[in-house]
Amino acid sequence: MTIQEIENTLIQGIASISNQDASAVSPDKPFHELGIDSLGFVEILVFIEKTFKLQLIASDLTKKDFETIHSLASYINTRL
Amino acid sequence: MLLSKQKRYLSGSDWVINTLDHLMKATTGVGNLSQVVLLLDAPLDESEVRNRLNAFVKQFLVLQGQVSRDLKLAPYWKIPARPGRDISLTVLNAEGLLSRESILALFEKSANTPFHDDKEHLAFHLFKDAERCLLAMAFDHRIFDARGAELFLNLFQQNMNDGSPAASGDITFTSSAALTQWSKKFLAGRTVNRRIIALSKSSPRALPIPRDGAASQRYHLLSFDQQETAHIYDRAYTEAGYLMESPYLLSVILQCVHELFATKQEDGSSYLIPVTTDLRPNKEPLQEMFFNYVSYLFYQVPAGEVADRKGLIALLKQQMYDQVKSGFPKDLAEASLLTRIAPLPLLGKLLHLPMKGKMATFAFSHLGKSSYQQPLFMGKKVLELFHMPRVPVPPGLGFFSNYYNGRLNLVISYLDGLLRDDEVQMLDRRIREGFGLGRPS
Repeated sequence: MTIQEIENTLIQGIASISNQDASAVSPDKPFHELGIDSLGFVEILVFIEKTFKLQLIASDLTKKDFETIHSLASYINTRL
Repeated sequence: MLLSKQKRYLSGSDWVINTLDHLMKATTGVGNLSQVVLLLDAPLDESEVRNRLNAFVKQFLVLQGQVSRDLKLAPYWKIPARPGRDISLTVLNAEGLLSRESILALFEKSANTPFHDDKEHLAFHLFKDAERCLLAMAFDHRIFDARGAELFLNLFQQNMNDGSPAASGDITFTSSAALTQWSKKFLAGRTVNRRIIALSKSSPRALPIPRDGAASQRYHLLSFDQQETAHIYDRAYTEAGYLMESPYLLSVILQCVHELFATKQEDGSSYLIPVTTDLRPNKEPLQEMFFNYVSYLFYQVPAGEVADRKGLIALLKQQMYDQVKSGFPKDLAEASLLTRIAPLPLLGKLLHLPMKGKMATFAFSHLGKSSYQQPLFMGKKVLELFHMPRVPVPPGLGFFSNYYNGRLNLVISYLDGLLRDDEVQMLDRRIREGFGLGRPS
């Protein structure tokens, strides 16, 4: 899977979780600016586990990893 | 699917809230009422408030509805065809600057005042002195959840900004009796039952409900300025992780409550905390302003695992993750649809069965970023915004936080007599210390 494909998959998932149109989810915006709270964030982590088979809840994720959907896609890419 | 201006079927979440309303009326004389409070930097004119709010509120006939039930058994909200009474607005003009204690006493009074009848679901309270004022919108939780109440005030102010007449409240509600897909509901019910049975294996610690005291609600407000709030969020990030404010806040509060229990001889080996979650679909903003879109996560923490903050945060995060992964909040909302057939008095009794009357240790909700997105209200600057909900009895104790304009507010809501004044002060002090703050707000 390429970073671009991971990014597109994330955008679809996040749009569904936050009830937004995928076109409204910018890959360059920080998650907290997408109106995502603790629960929404956990839903994204569950989506990542189900889609990419990666459990991130107990991992040492930093703000930088979640700075944007793009940076998260890069992080996932390194773990796949 | 029903499209109607006069009828809106109640969801499972709505019916849970109706059950709590029934229970609270039975135990305290006042229903499931909350208040959203705005602190403004200058006094508002009473007649302008009355006229503007009255004109706005009267457009929304849904606000004067009541619960009814049709032959299909499904309960619904019956919406009148014409507006009824004017809004209820109480005004208090104080001579000197209102102190924090006097403000809380005023809101305790308004929180303990029932609505006039079953068709009244909103009341406003205006407290002002020469320099500032507080406006509280007391609302029946059956018509708004906390976010819905903020959205309603936000819409009011948007209309003020636009200078346009009040938004049309002539809403055609889309709803369903939801009397189909029974297997889906029963499967959800099975999941919920299993979870509740698992939770009930350990008796939760709970403060004893005062037997002969007045059944009134008391409040304590912890207000954090922007600098303190930034510090708290920074610690939440460091200790719990990115966007993990909710489990972080809960961990600090739970440690403080644990300390409180250490001075008491209460039974129970664990703490049980129901936490409100928002399942709002964000598709029909006007419709979704009304009624309830909440579900719950349940955290169960063995008393022996509370002291270690790092371990506690990891446990809370894992429980949150597991419940979201298993779809528990959505299953609970789905399974609640089944409960609508039961009359409220029966459902109220059933709710008490699994935990032998101890429904939880305390309730918790972190509303996060406010849906009231305006810097002003009727031309005055909004300095603070916070919520003051009543809490079901039992447990009679709740912690409710929200974030507005870079500031965190935390309200402790408790049944009169459940906590002594020195215990409330201890909670205030220890919560602040838990956040790494020394001086009082």
